[in-house]
Amino acid sequence: MFKEFFIKEVGSALMRPMIYIFMFLMALASALMVIFGESIGGSSNVYLNAPFTITRLVATLSLIALLVSTAFFNTAALRDYKYNFSEILFSTPIHKMGYFFGRFTAALVLSTIPLCGIYIGYFIGAELGPLTGEITADRIGPFYAETVINSYLLFILPNMFFAGAIIFAMATKWKNTIISFLGTLAIIVTYSISGTFLSDIDNETIAGLSDMFGIRAFSTDTKYFTPNDKNTIGATFSGILLMNRLVWITIGFAILFLSYFSFSFIAKNKKVKKQKPEDESNVVAAISSVIKATPLFNSATSFAQFSSFYKLNFYSIVKSTLFKILFVVCAILLISNLWGGFDYMGLQSYPVTYKMMGTVNGISAFFVLIILVFFSGELVWRDRDSNIHEVIDATPHNSTISLLAKTLSLICVGTILNLFFIGGAILYQLFNGYTKIELGLYIQDFLYTAFPMYIIWSCIFVFVQIIINNKYLGYFVSILLLFLLDLLFLILEVETSMLSIGGGPSYKYSDMNGFGSALTGSNWFNLYWILFGLLLLSLSGLIWVRGVTFGFKNKMKSAKKHLTPTYTFVLSIVTFLFVATASFVFYNTQILNTYKTSDETEKGQIKYEKDYKKYESIAQPKITDVKYAIDIYPSIQKLLAKSAMIIQNQTDQTIDSLHYTIDSEWNMKIYLKDAELVFEDKDLGYLIYKLNKPLAPNERRALIVESSYSSVGFENGRGNTSVAQNGTFINNLSILPSFGYNSQYELSDKNDRKKNDLPAKLRMPELQNTCNKGCNVNYLSNGMSDWVNVETIISTSSDQLAIAPGSLLKEWKEDDRNYYNYKVDHKSQNFFNFMSARYEVDRKKWNGIDIEVYYDKAHSYNIDKMSAAIEKSLKYYTENFGPYFHKQARIVEFPRYATFAQAFPGTMPYSESFGFITNLEDSTDNNVIDAVVSHEMAHQWWAHQVVGAKMQGATMFSESFAEYSSLMVMKKEVNNDPMQMRKFLKYDYDRYLKGRSRESKKEMPLYKVENQQYIHYGKGSVILYALQDYIGEKKVNNAMKNFLAEFRYAKPPYPSSLDFLRHLEAEVPDSLNYLINDWFKEITLYDYRLMEANYTEMPNGKYEISMDIEAYKLKADTIGKETNVAINDWADIGVFADADEKELMFYKRVQFNEEKMNFTFEVDSIPAKATIDPRRILIERNIKDNVKSISEKE
Amino acid sequence: MATLKISNLSKTYANGVKALDDISIELSNGMFGLLGPNGAGKSSLMRTLATLQEADSGTAFLDEIDIFKNPTELRKVLGYLPQEFGVYPQITAYQLLDHVAILKGISNKKERKALVEHLLQKVNLFAKRHQKVKGFSGGMKQRVGIAQALIGNPKLIIVDEPTAGLDPGERNRFHNLLADVAEDVIIILSTHIVDDVTELCSNMAIMNIGKMVYQGTPQNVISELNGKVWQKIIERNEIGQYKKEHTVISDKMVAGKPLIHVLSDSNPGSGFESIAPGLEDVFFSKISTPAEVIA
Repeated sequence: MFKEFFIKEVGSALMRPMIYIFMFLMALASALMVIFGESIGGSSNVYLNAPFTITRLVATLSLIALLVSTAFFNTAALRDYKYNFSEILFSTPIHKMGYFFGRFTAALVLSTIPLCGIYIGYFIGAELGPLTGEITADRIGPFYAETVINSYLLFILPNMFFAGAIIFAMATKWKNTIISFLGTLAIIVTYSISGTFLSDIDNETIAGLSDMFGIRAFSTDTKYFTPNDKNTIGATFSGILLMNRLVWITIGFAILFLSYFSFSFIAKNKKVKKQKPEDESNVVAAISSVIKATPLFNSATSFAQFSSFYKLNFYSIVKSTLFKILFVVCAILLISNLWGGFDYMGLQSYPVTYKMMGTVNGISAFFVLIILVFFSGELVWRDRDSNIHEVIDATPHNSTISLLAKTLSLICVGTILNLFFIGGAILYQLFNGYTKIELGLYIQDFLYTAFPMYIIWSCIFVFVQIIINNKYLGYFVSILLLFLLDLLFLILEVETSMLSIGGGPSYKYSDMNGFGSALTGSNWFNLYWILFGLLLLSLSGLIWVRGVTFGFKNKMKSAKKHLTPTYTFVLSIVTFLFVATASFVFYNTQILNTYKTSDETEKGQIKYEKDYKKYESIAQPKITDVKYAIDIYPSIQKLLAKSAMIIQNQTDQTIDSLHYTIDSEWNMKIYLKDAELVFEDKDLGYLIYKLNKPLAPNERRALIVESSYSSVGFENGRGNTSVAQNGTFINNLSILPSFGYNSQYELSDKNDRKKNDLPAKLRMPELQNTCNKGCNVNYLSNGMSDWVNVETIISTSSDQLAIAPGSLLKEWKEDDRNYYNYKVDHKSQNFFNFMSARYEVDRKKWNGIDIEVYYDKAHSYNIDKMSAAIEKSLKYYTENFGPYFHKQARIVEFPRYATFAQAFPGTMPYSESFGFITNLEDSTDNNVIDAVVSHEMAHQWWAHQVVGAKMQGATMFSESFAEYSSLMVMKKEVNNDPMQMRKFLKYDYDRYLKGRSRESKKEMPLYKVENQQYIHYGKGSVILYALQDYIGEKKVNNAMKNFLAEFRYAKPPYPSSLDFLRHLEAEVPDSLNYLINDWFKEITLYDYRLMEANYTEMPNGKYEISMDIEAYKLKADTIGKETNVAINDWADIGVFADADEKELMFYKRVQFNEEKMNFTFEVDSIPAKATIDPRRILIERNIKDNVKSISEKE
Repeated sequence: MATLKISNLSKTYANGVKALDDISIELSNGMFGLLGPNGAGKSSLMRTLATLQEADSGTAFLDEIDIFKNPTELRKVLGYLPQEFGVYPQITAYQLLDHVAILKGISNKKERKALVEHLLQKVNLFAKRHQKVKGFSGGMKQRVGIAQALIGNPKLIIVDEPTAGLDPGERNRFHNLLADVAEDVIIILSTHIVDDVTELCSNMAIMNIGKMVYQGTPQNVISELNGKVWQKIIERNEIGQYKKEHTVISDKMVAGKPLIHVLSDSNPGSGFESIAPGLEDVFFSKISTPAEVIA
């Protein structure tokens, strides 16, 4: 019996095209990914068909395949009911078990088939990719059968099984497609809720287990996978993934059996409402007078028809049970999205309105649109589904009116849900004690973003339903348009937003700068898309089938008839408006404001390198003095800059020509006396001036550069956000040309280079022991300058305050504008920032140094903490490293277009989106402000007093040192509390291990870091922290101090990391000398495993702890391939008093010189857990096996 | 006096079925019965006239209105009750009629209210006007259907198989309603129930396989068969035999035995008795294919 149902179900599905279409689409998607060199979670070091990559895509697409499986399971469960065959079928002697499981298994098998298209796609992509020339052959790795088997068994099958069990059970129980849809929706919601656990790294396991698709479990298991791992290992039957699969398969079986046992062939007795006996009085006799109501057809009629249609449609949705359930689902979704709050490194942000808007828009852009897709089908097919269409279609109304009403109903549904979300967001703010409710802002944001989106998509969904003329196929196409169209454009490198439905520049609301200048463009794009939607809708009115017309020809025939003069008139007006708007948008985004597509940019980069690389090493003068004159006009977003420089030939050759690369966005003009422009590449901005009088060694000359930016019209993207109406922030490198050839413009991706026949490129010149010319250039100024004297005159509008580095010498008013004259007190790096906004200023003083915080009046929460952090840093650094050479230390807030803080001489811009709105009321939490401010302050020493030669390892003693310094400030702040420090360090530790997993070239050891952030921030801070723990804080500081003393503000040659190691070696005792090699010069990882831990009560009342440990030491190569080496290393072992690892009772450092060792020590009371490296200062990929609960020895 | 003139109307479906085969007909006010077996093309004709389906060729005019070129104008004076129709869930009789009234251009609120209430009374559903139509019986639903078809002073009312599935009482009531309005408008009533036509229609046509096989008044067509119809009660196993030897136009069971009607200019003898022909006899004689009749 099972067999019959199974074969029948599978057979009938295989006869229909749906399954093949889905399979083809899956195969196409994956093949395209390979051919165009795209992958999820891969990098240039990872094969495009690596086991990891394939598994990742399989897992991700199984989410999309949910739609397909809904169809299969729903059909399988409801087939007999739909065709009213159930009564016939169930009266035959069939077995429940065969029927139920036959159908279910069939649907399960069918659901997994489309996903298998991925394997075919990868196979084809791997064969075709290299032939197309889009990718090189070495991007394709070996194909492992295990990848296919494991990903099928671990993702495809269990995911389809679980989702299927739910949908099948719901369909069987309620026999209603809508309910099945709700089941699907519930799965998506639960999935997204599980994602909210990911916001904190401590919750990764929960996130991994609670995700029924296993995607997050796989991510968690593989988060520290090196490129080499990714190339060889896919999903395995282990770890959180295995646990996850077992959990969800069990739940799936439970649901299935529950459904099975409650399933019965006997139809439930439907509630029959008693009909009241009908009034049998004579029908005709009642009223004989005929009421004359005159039909009238004018615009009022059309409006009345519209509003009647609207009411019927809108109320039918709003009153439906489904809608009420959706409300509950929405509420759950909102709560779950807000549950974790706004986490940043374990801290919460104040729930400022823009964060709430972000959450609301995130839900609406995905969830509400899916709901609209569903209702679009329901509304368009409502007349047909209710079988009243012939009555309605035969009435004299224009189809467009009915469609407009349906569209408006959809828009209103979206609006209601959205307003509901906004209400929830406001409640959340109030609940969290945040009382600055900006209702107007919510509404504005809604009108600018979500509302137009609902209009546009509602029109499109209705149009799709009508043109496709099949509800379910219509759903499918709508979903494709919604989610996959942009992906296609991405692959095809189509970048204009005029093709991406609903696209346009998305503004980013900032408390400082409001909606910003992108709003204009966003509004125009919205108008453009709304008119597009209306145009489609007007066309829909024509092709809308009234009655029972079949076939394209008849449709056209009927369309022609409905094309009345009025219709033509309206259609032409809409078309005209659309074309006019489109032209205007096109003019603004393609002609007035051009942009380069990534393809054009790439071609430019290649040409630049091919044509001008030959000039890379020619001698050029360096800047020694600069006077900047900056005029900022915030209201019109205009900035004029004049940089008057003195350049000096510091080489021993005579220089007869000057080379510049200029940036067209900044409209640069170069003024040189006695020089002739002999070469100009307008496209790439390469200029060569011939000096009539060559520049002799040591000779100086004046150079003036004028640059300007002014905003015209609107752009395809968000545009330039650095010159803003409130919150301008630019740095001097944008207003200056590059001197000579700038290798930073070169194409960097190694595969792109290979594809374009460019030689492999070094990220940084190689570290050299003795360097001659190479050490004359530091990595920050790229050879343009060394230490320079800088003065700035900066002006802005009368309501704003403008800031540049240095002491404020003078400020005055002129022509109703504010002028400021700043001068840097000490020669500095030529790396300057210019800012202007309506600032509040907080001023303090410490040892004669001005401590200033410039902030927006909305963000006054943490200002005191910021100035305190500056003070703490100044104190520690002047004591341990040396003097501070500026007379001020400033923090200056800038809008959230970027999220970072940056150090310029004495001045540190700090983004509004972190720090300023972080809630630091609970003093036991991590103080992120301390961390960030003391990092940036440390740069005043590390980078601004000593800077590395432009070669490998240079960023170690700017970024790693700054990170270390910041850790030391915090260590002092928490009185060296080991658990508090572990909390800080875990982010660095995680950053390193995750970062190396995404490395696209080569992982370098720390002393050869090539500006790799995960190494110089992540690994650097962990290693330097461990180092001070091993050899002592004083010793590390000494090494740093001596190193600084040798190179502070020194003329070239600049130091390299070897110079630091020289100072360090002097401080390290011989017994620990191996650390320099292991930690700085090589990539070393440890793998400690606690096999057994127990205690024995001693006669003296104390407890002896015994720990059996396995210890391995591993060396990794540049792509993470590991080799075991003999261990002879020191590490800590210890015990925690509590299971939460809050109280470290005891720890001691022991030496490991064998792979299996036993250690014993005595403690006073019974501990809860034993652990290796309790403070997590060593780099290990798997730390879960370092800990064990302690039990009594038997 | 309105006139509906249909000329050379043809329609062939994609699967090759000829639904309408060169149909021409001219009608004026009064009730016109369109009789035909299932699948004769009645509904195709009705839908085509109700602007819900495209014809391949031919024209149709209601007075000056070219139905195929200007469907919207026709819809303004059309009342249509399709063969089957459902209703939106959750909607009451009043709401439904109100909606249709708006669609038919009754925009004046007061007038509309009066009209809808009048119609509800006329079809005797006033007391149930605020109940959901979904829960109505077949007859009540048909009455709602006819009420909506009457909205907006239609000149042409098309009712497709309105009495199918109604009990005799419902059917009677329905006939009364139709007869009430038939004087001023053209009503086309399609049915496969011969009595509907006999009782109501002054004019009629019989359709079969897309063709008009007869057109005229019921009296005329019946008189054509005067003296030609004979009946006999036979044994069940004899049917085949009789069908071979006579032109059997119908057989039905009477008290468990077949009663056959045969067509013959003279007395076929052997127990046959002459009867006065009914419309049913005409119907069956018209729709049997000539081959069958001869056989």
